[in-house]
Amino acid sequence: MPNPYIHQYAFFFDASACSGCKACQGACKDKHDLPVGVLWRRVYEVAGGGWKKAGGVWVPDVFSYNLSMACHHCANPICGDACPTKAIFKRDDGIVILDTQACIGCRYCEWACPYGATQFDAAKRIMSKCHFCYDYVDEGKPPACVAACPMRALDFGELSDLKQKYGGTAEIFPLPDAKITEPALLIKLHKDAPRAGKDTAEVANWEEI
Amino acid sequence: MSGTGGKEWPLICFTLLSQTAVGAFWTWAAFFLVMGNTGGGGEFGFLTIPVLTALGAVLGLAAAISFFHLGKLWRAVFVLNNLRRSWLSREILFELAFLFMIALLAFLEWHGVGLPFVIGGLVALAAVIGFCFLFSMAKIYMLTTVPVWRGPHTIASFFLSALLLGPLAAAAGQGSLYKYSDRTHSFQDIAAFVSLSAVVLIVLMILFLTPRVGFLGARKTTLLEYPADRMYPYLAFRILFLGAATLFLVAFHKKQEIGRLISFALASAVAAEVLGRRLFYAIYSRVGV
Repeated sequence: MPNPYIHQYAFFFDASACSGCKACQGACKDKHDLPVGVLWRRVYEVAGGGWKKAGGVWVPDVFSYNLSMACHHCANPICGDACPTKAIFKRDDGIVILDTQACIGCRYCEWACPYGATQFDAAKRIMSKCHFCYDYVDEGKPPACVAACPMRALDFGELSDLKQKYGGTAEIFPLPDAKITEPALLIKLHKDAPRAGKDTAEVANWEEI
Repeated sequence: MSGTGGKEWPLICFTLLSQTAVGAFWTWAAFFLVMGNTGGGGEFGFLTIPVLTALGAVLGLAAAISFFHLGKLWRAVFVLNNLRRSWLSREILFELAFLFMIALLAFLEWHGVGLPFVIGGLVALAAVIGFCFLFSMAKIYMLTTVPVWRGPHTIASFFLSALLLGPLAAAAGQGSLYKYSDRTHSFQDIAAFVSLSAVVLIVLMILFLTPRVGFLGARKTTLLEYPADRMYPYLAFRILFLGAATLFLVAFHKKQEIGRLISFALASAVAAEVLGRRLFYAIYSRVGV
């Protein structure tokens, strides 16, 4: 049963604490027995920078940080707007669920989601996505990814409570303008995050995700 | 994320067949509504049983091919569930409504019933539903998160494709049905002129409306992943101009040659449109990750 006191479940991610170990990614894949090619939670490695002149020599001036991203259970889930069968909907506690019995596998939600949250399961020929381990949270347990993080870089809870506890933002390179879908996500920025928006930065591990 | 992975051939076929059917219907409908019952001998002028049957068959074929895009095609019955928010649901609704109108017109033509003003109203209504069908088809792609698709060029390209392919298909079909009719030749001339105008508008659209944002600095695109795809824009342009040149020839044709010219122009236009649609999917690039 959804918790009646929760209006919008959300994730918190501390980019300054994440070591990029991908325990969250592995725990999610293991818990949901996801096939090869499907990752409900993904760790993006953002890298950038170059060389700068210091005195008479050129020295490396690079930066990198990690982003652990899953479905952000948006207040305005654009994937649900695209879905022709209403297979994607929000529970009363804000969790965005994909009904696997209603999905026709047309993949329009995959085009629409700017977070890469909806992913095609080629074996089942339908879409799949993070559902916040609602079975766990309904029992009062944390989602598998949150429980697995050794750095305590991930947390979850009611969005307003997380805002009060951590503050944070939902905008960091390379995520889009949060106004588009209003993600239920709070991020404590890495110290180099502001540089990524200005300097040349890129996701360096596309092959892994 | 960039490119749609090259798995969109069912959608390319669905889109082009539907645009052709709607564009062809508009051509026949316009001729009927403007010129009246002066054509092929039926109640609706050139909108005869064979014409309406062919339109229905093309739309049915388009729908059947589109099923190959789905992971679970037997669940396609759920596709109308989200009419309030999903343009895909609306597209299918208008497609079914357009097909129903074609079937209704064929039924009335078959039984020879219906007052002239009622028939005219039904033909006009079907044309409007066809417009809504194409509009909702274009809106599917105009996602907030896909700036390269979200613009007036998407709407324009969907309608111009219909105005290019439809009249040519109608002219080719008309030629095969009524080879020796003077009215057929005038119909083909007008249709070829509409298609030629569409070619000019497509070129203007490419020059002035298509975004110049490249691939938005996102990751490497399908265009780069498949080297052969790099040729699509150039091939599409060349074949389009080949079709346009053929249409110019139509202006100076001898009556015996117009059928061959129309067929050649139609083949050129179809080839250019297939490449154009492939290119459209290849440049997919959304914001975010």
